[in-house]
Amino acid sequence: MNVLSCSINTLIKEGLYEISGVEVGQHFYWQIGGFQVHAQVLITSWVVIAILLGSAALAVRNPQTIPTGGQNFFEFVLEFIRDVSQTQIGEEYGPWVPFIGTLFLFIFVSNWSGALLPWKIIQLPQGELAAPTNDINTTVALALLTSVAYFYAGLSKKGLGYFSKYIQPTPILLPINILEDFTKPLSLSFRLFGNILADELVVVVLVSLVPLVVPIPVMFLGLFTSGIQALIFATLAAAYIGESMEGHH
Amino acid sequence: MANSIMASSKPLIFLSSSSTQPNRIINLPKLAKLPQIPKPISSSSSLSTKALSFSSATVKSLALIAALAPPSMAEAMEKAQLFDFNLTLPIIVVEFLFLMFALDKVYYSPLGNFMDKRDSEIKEKLASVKDTSTEVKALDEQAAAVMRAARAEIAAALNKMKKETQVEVEEQLAEGRKKVEAELQEALASLEKQKEETIKALDSQIAALSEDIVKKVLPS
Repeated sequence: MNVLSCSINTLIKEGLYEISGVEVGQHFYWQIGGFQVHAQVLITSWVVIAILLGSAALAVRNPQTIPTGGQNFFEFVLEFIRDVSQTQIGEEYGPWVPFIGTLFLFIFVSNWSGALLPWKIIQLPQGELAAPTNDINTTVALALLTSVAYFYAGLSKKGLGYFSKYIQPTPILLPINILEDFTKPLSLSFRLFGNILADELVVVVLVSLVPLVVPIPVMFLGLFTSGIQALIFATLAAAYIGESMEGHH
Repeated sequence: MANSIMASSKPLIFLSSSSTQPNRIINLPKLAKLPQIPKPISSSSSLSTKALSFSSATVKSLALIAALAPPSMAEAMEKAQLFDFNLTLPIIVVEFLFLMFALDKVYYSPLGNFMDKRDSEIKEKLASVKDTSTEVKALDEQAAAVMRAARAEIAAALNKMKKETQVEVEEQLAEGRKKVEAELQEALASLEKQKEETIKALDSQIAALSEDIVKKVLPS
């Protein structure tokens, strides 16, 4: 604790804290009906949603038989999403394409917006604008939706027989099977949250230490990890849905 | 970064909020002495023992930091929370569901249907192209039949022509032969005539000659 206090002391004295501007866990709060919300998350998520809807509407407005430019790209993305869903869910993947696709696109665009969009230009009274996925609320929301989705998939496919999977190999595994329902959203949300937050922090810290050249490889690494995280989240969600839909008999 | 997160734990906030204005003023004289107590080197050497015991010195230094820290930072640290769940979560859920339905309306369904339709159209076209292969075969056969018929016709015509010309040639040949024979006959006939004539002539001469011979030979 002493070392810590000393290091903070020197940081304050040299004013590094002010220069580097590393802000973690600080939020710009809005009050909505007696509840608090993280305004920076909402603002960036609106921008992400606007980007997604706008570009999709623009590109798919008037589909041509021989696709060009934007339509070509969006067809490629849709085929990619369909491929991921089909691989993980199986033949009945059709109704799940919107869910998996939106998970992938929302997380992907959120992550990349944190790295590519110059959010820092807009000054907030407190906290700062960053990727919506570096807030635990967003990732937990998405993970809980995934949980609801795979429960819905299993129950709608097999009715109450779905719950027989909890004692499937042997009833001894019942506690572990129940535990899985908690670890799945937990691991999903914390993986995404930790990766994105750590990525942005590494970039910010490196920029504060060496403002030139050095952070660039880390930034590219960050872009890579962001894409991978989006793919992992979507793939795992699809895998969970497929797992709850497949027959155990 | 972990430092600032840890620094935002409860005790610090409690201290910072408890240190009122007069306390700060009283603390300020201590500021001159305090830096000697928590020296970085000495404290780090005895860190293992001191860290968990929270000696009075550390508490004092913490209080000092809280007092020294700029009010903006103290405020920020009071609210600095990584795992701060609030209404943002359900709002994000609603936003995500909205995005899902909107993207489905704008993107997945229209473009997906369009792509499926195009796929089936292309497949249909491909299938129809495969079907025409029989048509092509029939046409090929027809063409071959036409060729065969034409060849047969030509052969027949050729044969006919050959026969006709042969007949003609034979006729002409026969005609020519007849003419030649007739001429031959004529010539032979005239020869015969001449022969007879000469024989006749000779006969008359023979009589005269034999008379001469007899006259000459026989002494008369």
